[in-house]
Amino acid sequence: MSELLKVTDLAVSYGSVPAVDGVSLTIEPGELRVILGANGAGKTTIIKTLLGLLRPRAGQIRLDGQTDLLRLRPHEIHQLGIAWVPEGRQLWNTLKVVDNLRLGGFAEPDKALVDRRMAAMFERFPRLRERQDQIAGSLSGGEQQMVAIARALISAPRLLLMDEPSLGLAPKVVRDVFGLVREINKMGIAILMVEQNARQALGVANWAYLLETGHIVESGSADEIGRKASVQAVFLGGHA
Amino acid sequence: MELFLQQLANGLVIGSTYSVVAIGFALAFTVLRVINFAHPDIFMVGMFAGLAVTAQWPAFGLLVAMVAGAAGAGAVGFVLERTVIAPLRGRDVLMTLIGTLGVAIVLQNAMALVVGPDPVAYPALLPRRFIDIGPVALTVRQVANFAICLLLLGLVSLYVRGTSYGRATRAIAERPDVAAAFGIHVARICQITILLASMMAGVAAVSVGMLYGSASAFVGLLYGLKAFICMLVAGNRYFEGVMVVGLAIGIIEALVTGYLSSSLRDAAAFFVLIGVLYFRPNGLFGSYNA
Repeated sequence: MSELLKVTDLAVSYGSVPAVDGVSLTIEPGELRVILGANGAGKTTIIKTLLGLLRPRAGQIRLDGQTDLLRLRPHEIHQLGIAWVPEGRQLWNTLKVVDNLRLGGFAEPDKALVDRRMAAMFERFPRLRERQDQIAGSLSGGEQQMVAIARALISAPRLLLMDEPSLGLAPKVVRDVFGLVREINKMGIAILMVEQNARQALGVANWAYLLETGHIVESGSADEIGRKASVQAVFLGGHA
Repeated sequence: MELFLQQLANGLVIGSTYSVVAIGFALAFTVLRVINFAHPDIFMVGMFAGLAVTAQWPAFGLLVAMVAGAAGAGAVGFVLERTVIAPLRGRDVLMTLIGTLGVAIVLQNAMALVVGPDPVAYPALLPRRFIDIGPVALTVRQVANFAICLLLLGLVSLYVRGTSYGRATRAIAERPDVAAAFGIHVARICQITILLASMMAGVAAVSVGMLYGSASAFVGLLYGLKAFICMLVAGNRYFEGVMVVGLAIGIIEALVTGYLSSSLRDAAAFFVLIGVLYFRPNGLFGSYNA
């Protein structure tokens, strides 16, 4: 099967401090894979490197088995169909909700298409339609996460990178977000998610990687990983 | 009351020029993370570009002079961005600060070599006639300066709020990484931003040259200082905030001149700066990364 994204032996450092070392992973079209890891394990570093925002020290990142993402700048990578739901939402808080969404389609030359996609988002998230003229920073955490997800979907990506979408949200909202993650994946969009909330993430993912201090220590189907004693001990609150 | 209204009007006239220059500073600082010390001297180049055209072809009026001012200042701004700011982007803020300061010194002294160190007369592009607005009397040039600057400020506001590139500009100001990852070509927007800021400054410079009837290679210092203060007082979160503060500083200066002493005029802006930063260190309207 042809991989959508293939990461080989990725190593990223901040100055002389290694954040990620020897990370290899793949994702196939339409899949939903999750990288589980604690704070500081290197999850966000991987995501930012895939987006071209960080330059790795070593390794390869290829899209569709051919395009070398390391040669491209962030805006060019975006145009290949990779979108981002950043950690902690990172909306443009001083801009209106509607402008946040519109900027999600900045690179799409067909503005009528962007308008149609925005209308579809408002259809799916009526709350955002009501609040479209509010400053994004004034929304609740859950609503902001909806904006962050909708903003990423406006570009109709093939691959969605989600960085801890459950972070800082109320438990009920977390369930909604994971329901939405599943729904987006059913639309055929491949998702690579990094999470600390292992129980919820393993519930929606079909494959999981376990990241510890910059290394992938386990990988397997979500069921398999969920049954591992080490994962239960660290992430699921069970007894080792 | 009449003095008050008259000084209010005078203050708005010169404050509008401060606002235009301040917006140029603010755009460079918020979007490119650069303290562009060359901006006031780009303004000065614009002033002389307008002067050169009208001196050469006296029949041409204000409009052509402003186009020339925009072109001259825009060209210098564009080259500055390509040769100094872009190569130093991502390095320490001090690097671009020193780089632009160097360019500022070169621009001032190069212009002084060409036109001499003393102020030179600026052509009278508009008649020296008074217009009465109620109890207030303003010259045609004052009214024109205010109208021109207000138009520039309105266009900036329209650009950053109503256009796709303008929204992208604000997106970069708030979160450059997220903007890049959402398909915004950050380097190109940065180029456009400096070009715009410079062209605006060039137009405003021609207008204020005409207003006071003189131009000097060192005229940038005064406007640059005031404009820089405006940006610090307002904070960099809202461009409109910088515009409002520019007008306010102009008014305060005019009132100080009218009621206290003209020798205190240039100190007024600094008192405002110290007072505001004491109580609101991130500026009146707040700053990013604060």
